[in-house]
Amino acid sequence: MTTTPAAAANTVVPANTVMIEAQGVQKWYPNGFHALRGCDLRVNRGEVVVIMGPSGSGKSTFIRTFNALEDFQKGRIVVDGIALSNDLRNIDAIRREVGMVFQQFNLFPHLTVLDNLTLAPVLVRKRAKAEVERQAMALLQRVGIAEQASKFPGQLSGGQQQRVAIARALCMEPRILLFDEPTSALDPEMVREVLDVMRNLAEDDITMVVVTHEVKFAEQVAHRVVLMAEGEVVEEAPPQVFFNTPSHERTRRFLDQIL
Amino acid sequence: MNSLLRRLRHELFATPGDAVLSVALLALLTLAMGGLLRWALVQANWAVIQANSTLFAVGRYPAEQQWRLWLLTSLLVGAAGLSWGLLRAHPRADRQGLLWPRNDRVAVGLLAGLAVWLPWALGLTGGIQARWWGLAALLIGLRWLAGRQGASWPPRLLKLVPLVWPLLYLTGMVLIGGGLGVAKVSPSEWGGLLLTLLSASFAILLCFPLGVLLALGRRSELPLLRWASVIYIEFIRGAPLITLLFLGQNIFGFLLPNGLAPERVWRAAWVLTFFAAAYLAEAVRSGLAAVPTGQVEAARSLGLSQARALQHVVLPQALRVALPAMVGQFISLLQDTTLLSLIGLLELLGVARTVMANPEFLGKNAEVYLTLAVLFWCCCAALGLGSRALERRLDPRTVPSR
Ligand SMILES: Nc1ncnc2c1ncn2[C@@H]1O[C@H](COP(=O)(O)OP(=O)(O)O)[C@@H](O)[C@H]1O
Ligand SMILES: [Mg+2]
Repeated sequence: MTTTPAAAANTVVPANTVMIEAQGVQKWYPNGFHALRGCDLRVNRGEVVVIMGPSGSGKSTFIRTFNALEDFQKGRIVVDGIALSNDLRNIDAIRREVGMVFQQFNLFPHLTVLDNLTLAPVLVRKRAKAEVERQAMALLQRVGIAEQASKFPGQLSGGQQQRVAIARALCMEPRILLFDEPTSALDPEMVREVLDVMRNLAEDDITMVVVTHEVKFAEQVAHRVVLMAEGEVVEEAPPQVFFNTPSHERTRRFLDQIL
Repeated sequence: MNSLLRRLRHELFATPGDAVLSVALLALLTLAMGGLLRWALVQANWAVIQANSTLFAVGRYPAEQQWRLWLLTSLLVGAAGLSWGLLRAHPRADRQGLLWPRNDRVAVGLLAGLAVWLPWALGLTGGIQARWWGLAALLIGLRWLAGRQGASWPPRLLKLVPLVWPLLYLTGMVLIGGGLGVAKVSPSEWGGLLLTLLSASFAILLCFPLGVLLALGRRSELPLLRWASVIYIEFIRGAPLITLLFLGQNIFGFLLPNGLAPERVWRAAWVLTFFAAAYLAEAVRSGLAAVPTGQVEAARSLGLSQARALQHVVLPQALRVALPAMVGQFISLLQDTTLLSLIGLLELLGVARTVMANPEFLGKNAEVYLTLAVLFWCCCAALGLGSRALERRLDPRTVPSR
């Protein structure tokens, strides 16, 4: 796997097609907790947007609304031209185009690595199994674990599992990939192998929204960095500006804590 | 041998206290076993079993129709040998399996020994003894053949093998009860082990899908469905089976127009099914609860529909977790069939009671009950062994990592 020289990825100017458009999104959890208090975000095709912010600020909640894992009560979200509504057909169409990588990997433990990858393309996209398996092997090769294809997830290390999870999401050929703290559950020595895979992905056309605390990754790969706090988007800026000359006091305080 | 001795010493006589306890327990065990053996070999009079072996096996099933049961038995034995061999010829892809593991060699030895000794001990006629030998030979022969040739069978053919079992079950129903050109044998003439196994297997097969549906209903987001499932489950679990059995004998008559109500045996089998489904639902529910919500989220975010996520992601994991509890339910269901004797059906216990009431065999209760206990023990042991093998085959965690 080749790592791009620093900053090579984020110099590419993305085509100006809006992939995700969120306007004034508000969410209350069933227990009445006001988790999102009017969030705006626009992500263009091919862009990599990193979301940072203290724990409990609503980062997970926000990106989970993009593929309808969470509903919301006010505002508007348009994903790849499809407005998110309660129409189930809409939701299925969006989920096919939006892949997600979770903090806890969430691989299917009863299926082999290869079957984890092929399950959805065969069932949802109705593609031929043999063809999907070829593609899956190529993806596993790309994330560097082709030789583990016939093992079960429980037999792999955390880093390997997360790479399988990324390959699984890619196998559906999504246009957008959401990452929710993909390296937070990993031992430190495994963080890098996962970030390398993500860097490699960022060079492609795929649109990525990444919740992470990895500052170096954000500096090198992100086109824009977003700070969330208390259910609101506080600051949104290119990484150089975000990390060096942020315009909000809240951002400075957050950066003081993590840097 | 030496290591065995060392292990025995280590486990039984590690400390003086352990040694005393071990010796005392061993003495007690020897005494009990000795007494039982002396009774079984010297005092007991097994004529009561020998004279009634057919009654215990099939009840009052007409003698001139019993060829159908022999045919069914040989079909079952053949299918078992075939499946067994094929399973060994195709170990799971991620694991190397022996064609003849030690357990299989022991099982074959036991089965062969049993097939030779039991018909002789029961004093069966020469012809019937030969049939049992033939059945054992069929089982072992097919096990051997399928084990040897199975690896080279075309995958298409292998996919058809699991279908043999449901087909065989339906064939068995026709062979036992008649229909489709086969002479009818009324359920009131079925009995003994035949009736026990039939009602138990019927209830086990049908309570499974019913229990899964009830468990899903109980976790449903639709309030009506959820409450209906809860009420059903709690009502059934709150009532003793015997009252439900009596109720079932009457209620089908009220609910269904005359003539449409099922035969008494079937009424009982349906009650068993509905009863077991409620308990099974609770076992499945605990399995469902053990599947993390992240699994559903991952499946949904890959675009799987709710139903597909359930079928391919949630249920396989939930059922594997619930398997031991479910098999426990199946085993108690098998034992619960003895209650059918209280509503006048001649399953194993019913037959036993008529035999013991026969003046000719007065006072032979111990022999009869011991036979019954051993028969039930064998059936339950088979269920337990099968479930443990299935558990091991399904569980990725038991795969040795390479
Ligand atoms: N299911 C839920 N019900 C009620 N409150 C929730 C639920 N999930 C999350 N929250 C609350 O919403 C807030 C935002 O959560 P989350 O989006 O997970 O934060 P982050 O990912 O930024 O750490 C937190 O205060 C959390 O306690
Ligand atoms: Mg989070």
